[in-house]
Amino acid sequence: MQKLPVADWIESLTEWMTQAFAGFFSFLQNSGQGLMDGITQLLLLVPPIVMIVGLTLIAFFISKEKLSLPIFTGLGLLFILNQNLWNDLISTFTLVLISSLVSIILGVPLGILMAKNDKAQSIITPILDFMQTMPGFVYLIPAVAFFGIGMVPGVFASVIFALPPTVRFTNLGIRQVPKELVEASDSFGGTGWQKLFKLELPLAKNTMLAGINQTTMLALSMVVTASMIGAPGLGRGVLSALQRAQVGNGFVNGVALVILAIIIDRFIQYINKPKKTATKKKSLTIEQKKKRGLLITLAVVLVAIFGVTSLLNKEKGKEEINLAYVEWDTEVASTNVIGEVLREAGYKVTLTPLDNSIMWQSIANGETDAMVAGWLPNTHEAYIKKYQDKVDPLGVNLKGAKIGLVVPTYMDVDSIEDLDQEAQQKITGIEPGAGTVNLANETVKTYPNLKDWTVETSSSGAMTVALGQAIKKQEPIVITGWSPHWMFAKYDLKYLKDPKETMGTEENIETFARKGLKEDQPEAYKILKNFEWEQKDIESVMLDVSNGEDAQAAAKKWIDANRKTVDSWKSK
Amino acid sequence: MVKVKVENLTKIFGKKNQTALKMVEEHRSKTDILKKTGATVGVYDVNFDINDGEIFVIMGLSGSGKSTLIRLINRLIEPTSGHIYIDGEDISKMTKEELREVRRHKMSMVFQNFGLFPHRTILENTELGLELRGVSKEERVKKAEQALKNSGLISFKDQYPTQLSGGMQQRVGLARALANDPEILLMDEAFSALDPLIRREMQDELLDLQTSVQKTIIFITHDLNEALRIGDRIALMKDGQIMQIGTGEDILTNPANDYVREFVEDVDRSKVLTAENIMVPALTTNIDVDGPAVALNKMRNEEVSLLMALNKKRHLKGIITAEKAIQARKEKLPLTEVVEPEIVSVSRDTLVGDIFEIIYDSPTPIAVVDGSRLLGVIIRGSVIEALASGSNNNDEEVLKNA
Repeated sequence: MQKLPVADWIESLTEWMTQAFAGFFSFLQNSGQGLMDGITQLLLLVPPIVMIVGLTLIAFFISKEKLSLPIFTGLGLLFILNQNLWNDLISTFTLVLISSLVSIILGVPLGILMAKNDKAQSIITPILDFMQTMPGFVYLIPAVAFFGIGMVPGVFASVIFALPPTVRFTNLGIRQVPKELVEASDSFGGTGWQKLFKLELPLAKNTMLAGINQTTMLALSMVVTASMIGAPGLGRGVLSALQRAQVGNGFVNGVALVILAIIIDRFIQYINKPKKTATKKKSLTIEQKKKRGLLITLAVVLVAIFGVTSLLNKEKGKEEINLAYVEWDTEVASTNVIGEVLREAGYKVTLTPLDNSIMWQSIANGETDAMVAGWLPNTHEAYIKKYQDKVDPLGVNLKGAKIGLVVPTYMDVDSIEDLDQEAQQKITGIEPGAGTVNLANETVKTYPNLKDWTVETSSSGAMTVALGQAIKKQEPIVITGWSPHWMFAKYDLKYLKDPKETMGTEENIETFARKGLKEDQPEAYKILKNFEWEQKDIESVMLDVSNGEDAQAAAKKWIDANRKTVDSWKSK
Repeated sequence: MVKVKVENLTKIFGKKNQTALKMVEEHRSKTDILKKTGATVGVYDVNFDINDGEIFVIMGLSGSGKSTLIRLINRLIEPTSGHIYIDGEDISKMTKEELREVRRHKMSMVFQNFGLFPHRTILENTELGLELRGVSKEERVKKAEQALKNSGLISFKDQYPTQLSGGMQQRVGLARALANDPEILLMDEAFSALDPLIRREMQDELLDLQTSVQKTIIFITHDLNEALRIGDRIALMKDGQIMQIGTGEDILTNPANDYVREFVEDVDRSKVLTAENIMVPALTTNIDVDGPAVALNKMRNEEVSLLMALNKKRHLKGIITAEKAIQARKEKLPLTEVVEPEIVSVSRDTLVGDIFEIIYDSPTPIAVVDGSRLLGVIIRGSVIEALASGSNNNDEEVLKNA
């Protein structure tokens, strides 16, 4: 039985779509990014304290002057502010807001269509089931292919993932309108639209809001996942904590997300609370309506202005440098250092942590300007093969990096060929997309004694935690290791000899830029090209970071201590 | 002057419509059709005319197809075949737009569970028809308020339906239909969800209204009494077919077939009236406590000339007349001295037929008693009303049953 090439079909379909709709996608990407940057900046204009007080007051009024919600809102937001997560919070909120809005704009009409048309319902329902049960990660892949990295693919993935509840509940709410009322509307000669706006939507409102509430919650959870493809915000903190095994950081970011989720949830629920039937209907006077309209217009105009200005900034792009990196300790150190140097040179630098393959892709299609994390010739061999025509190699920034299988020194194996039954025949790896993992898989295939061995993937952070645990218990463990890395300073470890050289020989870390950076940003290009340092440099930064120092602070510290080196990069 | 004409109207639910329709044309029975095709016939080859300004009642048990029939008339349900002519125009052939115009201007409907929009106030509900028609805000509010004034609900115009009783809600439903000023009112079991007292009140109101507005009313009910009370003509339905059309009198005296006879008789047997059904609350005086002045005062207030005399234990002792009470006041006698103990009394389950003969001779009201406790009284008026109300207008029957 031949295996059906389904994956290839999907691949070529995505490829074709990326080509065919390139203009449309990039328009969406640019305008979406501009809009979201605008909203984020607008929200950041408000001093945090003012916003916290404002939201607490709103909470106080909508919760009918009960105290629990306003107290929670106030304290929760103050906690987030205190933990320096305010900007992340605002970014996350913007993402959730846009995702939810787009979901509502798409979902409500779809739900109405479903309610009005049984055929549409029977077609859409299985699609919704499919959308809801498919793991959210899957949506990230085409999102990157279509929109590159950043906020827009995050919104795209969130919308697909979060859309179903709104559609379902809208459909349900409209179908639950009592038949007699529908007949009443028809018997008085109401048109379909009149029925929809005067009867069905007002009666379905509560059910629809319940759906929208679920949609917001799903969008929020998806925004966290989407941080793997460059969506900014609290998700990034959670993800980097996971990859670097920082329980505390992960918890703090997680709690911030929980606070945001609860606040959004309660606010929507209070909107949804059926009002006590008033004896007098409150209707807005013309004055109030005018005021309201004016305020909304003002807000829209402001957002638009910000959007346009940030777009213009993008267009000009004189000051901005986007650096991509992977959340490995080496890369965290080097990217923060070079980022800091570029900042000193007057650039506005954005560092975007991405998954390995997506980092390469984003350089290749010009999404990000540069990265200093290319491990060659072996680790990233697959990527350089794929993208060599689309990236601009700037040379080595660190010599003598090494990759291999690493074990604690108390294990009495010295070569890969000596491995037999140790460590439950498992190699503890890092992220599935990482180059070392690919090489480890090769190794397992090549060495006959590793026939029954498997490579277990997790994350860089999880791997170091597992290593620490094993050493504490003096248990055998085999990991995919690389140097420079602080773990060699912390534990007694050794590389296993690799006679077949499947794990590669000594490697270099190289810098890559997008095509055209040389012309656009000659000065930054020069600095990136000159960036080169040594094992001891990077390890000092790495050790600081692993001891809990903030990466940016550690980078600054190193720069201050090594002025000469840094100046030489700038002046050459 | 024929207002509505229905010809060979058939509605078949389910698939294989065409086969089922052929079988209807061949006059095969409903059960045959169901067995053969799996399709249910809701309305089976119905023909009738409705005249301008008459109340045409369609009556039948649950599942007889009467609700389907009324919905076919304004095409809330699409007919499978047949024609409905309103003022000579065939509704079943109309486009959506033409049909909408007819619904907006000619026909309005009143529903069993009122069909009021819960998110709108009474006024907003009442102006619904006009709003859908596109009448300007000012004019429609004026008309809706007039309709509410007519049904005495204007003070509730800013309330929501849930804040009103069932009877009031149905008045709003009726006002909503009338605000549209239609020529035809379709009423689908409009009073079935109300309690019996309110129901009767609403029937009277509808009859009063009809004298002033003169609409053509198509009224659906499953209740023979209601049909007899309000219908100018009655159509009795069973299994989607019309068994008989005629006045109440026709249907009661010349039932067309066994089904109608059973239907009517069944009602008769169950509705045989007893004293208890027709008695009214008694006006009493407690002779152990009250004096003549009190008794006279009561008579003046109630505008009567005699009272039923009870003792402390509420046992019936006789009658106090006005003359006797005046005499007692003059002579300073207690009421117990002037009670006239001769009083005609019947037990609660005596049949109306028997009472008919007694009341003819009795100058005083007849007391209805349970042992020696007084329950109420029967006056001449209540007997006549009970017989005239249509619930039992065949006194020979009554006498036979007695």
